[in-house]
Amino acid sequence: MELEKSKFYQDSLLEKLHEIQSTYGYIPEAEIENLAEKYQLPRANVFGVISFYSMFYTEPTGKYIIRICDSISCHLNESDSVLKAVKSYLNLESHQTTADKKFTLEVVECLGHCGEGPVMMVNNQIYTKINENKALEILNDCI
Amino acid sequence: MSKEKFYLKGDQLLDISDYNFKSIKNALKLGREKTIQKIKDSELKGRGGAGFPTGIKWEMAANIEAQEKFLVCNGDEGEPGTFKDRYLLEERPLKVLEGIMLAAYAVGADKAYIYIRGEYSKAIDVFSKIIEAAEKEKILNEYLFNSDFKLELKLVRGAGAYVCGDETSLLNSIEGKRGRSRIKPPYPIEKGLYNQPTVVNNVESLCCAAEILNPESEEFSSLGIEGSRGTKLLCLSGDLNKPGLYEVEFGKITLKEIIYELGGGIKTNADLRFVVPGGISTSLIKADSLDFPYSYQEFEERGSSLGSGAVIAVSKKHDLLDLMLNVSRFYMDETCGTCFPCREGNRQINKILKSFKPESNKINAELINDIGNTIRLAARCGLGQSSLNFITSVIQNYGEELRIGGKIYV
Repeated sequence: MELEKSKFYQDSLLEKLHEIQSTYGYIPEAEIENLAEKYQLPRANVFGVISFYSMFYTEPTGKYIIRICDSISCHLNESDSVLKAVKSYLNLESHQTTADKKFTLEVVECLGHCGEGPVMMVNNQIYTKINENKALEILNDCI
Repeated sequence: MSKEKFYLKGDQLLDISDYNFKSIKNALKLGREKTIQKIKDSELKGRGGAGFPTGIKWEMAANIEAQEKFLVCNGDEGEPGTFKDRYLLEERPLKVLEGIMLAAYAVGADKAYIYIRGEYSKAIDVFSKIIEAAEKEKILNEYLFNSDFKLELKLVRGAGAYVCGDETSLLNSIEGKRGRSRIKPPYPIEKGLYNQPTVVNNVESLCCAAEILNPESEEFSSLGIEGSRGTKLLCLSGDLNKPGLYEVEFGKITLKEIIYELGGGIKTNADLRFVVPGGISTSLIKADSLDFPYSYQEFEERGSSLGSGAVIAVSKKHDLLDLMLNVSRFYMDETCGTCFPCREGNRQINKILKSFKPESNKINAELINDIGNTIRLAARCGLGQSSLNFITSVIQNYGEELRIGGKIYV
């Protein structure tokens, strides 16, 4: 019972992974090993947790992670044309990173701004009511 | 707009020194039993989508003897079309905090988690600051207002997995595991987080609880109609002139008024085809059948559900097959993969829809419905069980238009 109690005071593995992800832009192999030791888990187990969640990466990502929502409310407001424009501008498909490691593109599900779609997220910044031109402007500002 | 209410919605509440915690003070005065009785009397139902009576959940959890109990606030809002919990976390976080404290006090938990989806960076930021301020003001971690109750609260960020909105998946996620659902029973109130009794409540439900215990707004529980009490936050989106967040009283406004008055009607004067009333896990309601009061029971009677309150208006300018594919892709991507029928079923549905050509009229609707029923019966969690509701309801209502052959699902 005492052991269970103390878990509340331990850093959650998920929180730890967030920290590492924001420090390196991905979860490096060495950190997986550290975590395995800290949490007394097999490495495969830590890897399994990482791979389950779409916001964690085991490979370096671009400096800017571009997330574009294509769930139904944004889709009804023509998110597909935004997507098409961004894909062709960056010459990327979803889950890909540009060679210069500047941009990673993610086509994602609902970002919770459904009344203001289409919606795009650049790292932690949300942009609402975007269209093709606005999306490309935002990308240009990143460069 | 007179049809709008302002209980959950309202001015931004961010400064803890301006907030008086009336509801929790009231609860501490009433005691645990009477607090739970108030919630039971209010007929509050969970606002996350499943609609389980909150008071009954609290009572069951309160009656369980355990060394340790947990309260978890579910802020993993991911149902497409839903953004009410984000609003509450960003604009009214002190109400959310008070709701968490109330629930924890009522069920006898002294440790609580709030789990907020990782994409909600602003909400995470705002709520982290609220926790910090509450710790500094001794609202958390210390015996509260000279009572025997103190609460510790931690925030855990999700990391991009829709399925963690399911309460058992969410518990696994907090424990640092893959967000896979658990087999029920045992229910979380018996064996939840770290095997301890755990109550999981949605953000909006907790805010409603704070409203119910507010000694200055006693009318909240008498709002609405029998079986659907209080108010509901609605997230209007899709082809509407005035999309956004609205609060309405149950039973006093029709779905038609929600679309045409609150929502301002359909954009570019297009014709409405149907409304998805509670997020994409609910069955659609056709445009000519919207004239009924907004309540749990009215949706149930129509074979649908008010779900999370995500009301999505869809006009006739959209291609039905394209929409079905969009929803199907969502479930194919977001299934956690634990239950075979949900994992493979959703993949097969996507395949069937992708190969569908209206002119050849080759798909058997019966097959889609069979897969849908199998998932409904065999998936562990509510998210899996409801994954085919939208698609089967499109086929049921528009099968002929799509020229899908076979027996139409009833």
